Amino acid sequence: MRSYLHGTSVRLGVALTTIAGALALAFALSSASQASTGHAVARSASATSSCGPKPGVKATGSPINLGAINTKQPGTDFTDISNMAAAYFACVNANGGVGGHPIVLHMLTDATNPAQIAADAKQLVTTDHVLGMVGNTDIIECSVDYKYVQSIGFKVIAAGIAPECYSTPNYADVNMGPRYSSDGAAQYAISRGIKKIVFDQSNVPGTAYNVGGVAAIAKAHGVSLTQLTENVPITDANSVAIKETQDAGPNGAVVLNFTPPEALVILQAAQKLGLENKVKMWACSTPCNTDFLAKALGPAWQGHFYVNAELTPVDGNNSPTVQLYKAILKQYGSSVSGGIGSFSQMGFTIGEIATHALESVKGAYTVKSVNAAFEAVKNYNTGMLCRPWTYGPYKLHIANNVDYTVTPKNGQMLIAQGCTPISADDPGIAAYRKAAGG
Amino acid sequence: MPSWTDFQPFLITGLALGGVYALSGVGMVVLYRATGVLNLAFGAIGAFGALISWQLINSSGWNEWLAYLVCVLFGGVLTLLYGMIFGPALAHRDPLVKAAATLGLTLILLGFMDILWPSSGGQSRSISLPTDTGGFMIGQVQVTWTDVIGLGVGVAITVVTGAFLRFTKLGTAMRAMADDREITATLGVPVRRVEASAWFGCGVLSGIAGVILADLVALDPTTLTFLVISSLAAALIARLQSITVAFLAAIVIGTVDSMITPIQSLTNYRDMTPFVLAVIALLWVNRRRTISMTRQGV
Repeated sequence: MRSYLHGTSVRLGVALTTIAGALALAFALSSASQASTGHAVARSASATSSCGPKPGVKATGSPINLGAINTKQPGTDFTDISNMAAAYFACVNANGGVGGHPIVLHMLTDATNPAQIAADAKQLVTTDHVLGMVGNTDIIECSVDYKYVQSIGFKVIAAGIAPECYSTPNYADVNMGPRYSSDGAAQYAISRGIKKIVFDQSNVPGTAYNVGGVAAIAKAHGVSLTQLTENVPITDANSVAIKETQDAGPNGAVVLNFTPPEALVILQAAQKLGLENKVKMWACSTPCNTDFLAKALGPAWQGHFYVNAELTPVDGNNSPTVQLYKAILKQYGSSVSGGIGSFSQMGFTIGEIATHALESVKGAYTVKSVNAAFEAVKNYNTGMLCRPWTYGPYKLHIANNVDYTVTPKNGQMLIAQGCTPISADDPGIAAYRKAAGG
Repeated sequence: MPSWTDFQPFLITGLALGGVYALSGVGMVVLYRATGVLNLAFGAIGAFGALISWQLINSSGWNEWLAYLVCVLFGGVLTLLYGMIFGPALAHRDPLVKAAATLGLTLILLGFMDILWPSSGGQSRSISLPTDTGGFMIGQVQVTWTDVIGLGVGVAITVVTGAFLRFTKLGTAMRAMADDREITATLGVPVRRVEASAWFGCGVLSGIAGVILADLVALDPTTLTFLVISSLAAALIARLQSITVAFLAAIVIGTVDSMITPIQSLTNYRDMTPFVLAVIALLWVNRRRTISMTRQGV
């Protein structure tokens, strides 16, 4: 018995030692690439002082609680958006806050589970006592929560995905979402004279909605359209890439609407198989607008791949807004794992707009005053969008509907086409412009 | 329905994937025969090793082939350690318990991969083998050397493992243990050493599969971890006994999965391929089996 126990304890000891050693090695490996960021943080400290009214003075008043809900599941993770909004608020809080009040963002996640999403919203409101919601980016959150949000008088500032994020009165987004961003990618391809579009996207809720605008624009221009969907995570990217190029043909375009990891595996598969030249062009909605994707793809894609960019391209851009964005990302964005890219830009813009709105509140911060301030935002120049941003008392909101097209070059995403309005051939865009008088 | 010409590239990619599934399936069958353990952590171990390789190449500037060798060795050593530490304690437990224990290892590894190499913010990693850039054409179809390696390694591992089990002392011992572990032990076969060899061999195969699949599919922890399902289906079709059947089943699974892709009406159901083929095969194999049921305790 003693010998058995001794043997067991020896094995347990070996196991624990092994696990500890492996973890130490793995942590050392994974942190090696991040070791150099500390100096950059110190250097950029002063660059972030402009995000609050009192540089260097920490806000110590009662907190203004806000909430966010993000999708987080294998293959789809939108937490960087609320993490970046929280980083913006951290910067504001370190530089005086809003009237001396720090902004606290309570962030919850879900895995596309309607019951969990509904519970998240109720937890934020009843347990965390949030006064408003900002930074929601979720595959179905708007669809699940829009009635509840309306019933409690919230005016959400989000980076939306689902149809209800754009077609209901209580959500306004800094982005265009998959539908209108795909519109942008498709209309750019059409402007380059392609004869056919193959539109491929993740097989998740909302696929028919996402392709609706592309279908309308393609029809208006007499371009044929093939719609494809892929189960994610994609397990056979080679076959997907072959299928897309076969369907598009030499005069066609493949338009992708995927998260960056999924888009990357398809594009890399196409590159390995020499398919990048087999169609007239490849295009992608906004998620592909990241430097890491430009670096991973390399020079083979120059002149073949175009990405719709809903926010101002930051490569080679030294505007004060972009400088502040990069400085906040360095100093406060340790949890923003994707770094520079459209997701963190969206989070920054949300933080910027929400802070601007909160600064306009007169008197106490309540659900009513905070959400009234959100709704009252009008023609606010964020520096991150083509046009000033307006919430407004509209029945629907597509506040961002003018955008860029970028293309990878030397590891960066550079502008291929400047600010261009999304086509009103998409009935959603036409309806918004009519409502907003745009 | 696409033409035969349209199907040809899918046949190539399917054969390459099938080859890697085969190498995984063979590894699982050999380990099961020697130890009675169905290793559900096969994919997670390969994924962990592939991510370590990626880290060594991209952060530490290691030579690619050396980094891939680390992946293979990591698979072998981790699997061996698991087998040596937990194998004896689980040796006399039900096969389901043994399999569930490896599922535990899978979840632990997945958790650590999520912490060490997060995917938030659209972060993505990739491994591109030097063999991706070279290749040849068969008609209009581009074949990369990685495709050739995928299929070739599957074939080679199956042939070598078959010969090893048949013609070597250690292989004979493994086959004997598959028949009856207790009797084999009483005959003087060093059971622990034979098991250790099987664990290590299975781990090495998981490392090889991890690197190739990271290139052919994606360097994503979840994707690679659950690709084991296709190999598992092949091993089940072989009833966890025949490596030849496991090889053939894996090739069929990979090929059918890929060839369904251009068929619009079926393409979104292709993830079901391993399950459907496994169910059909198991029903066919058991078609003449009589099931008798008695009512007890009424």
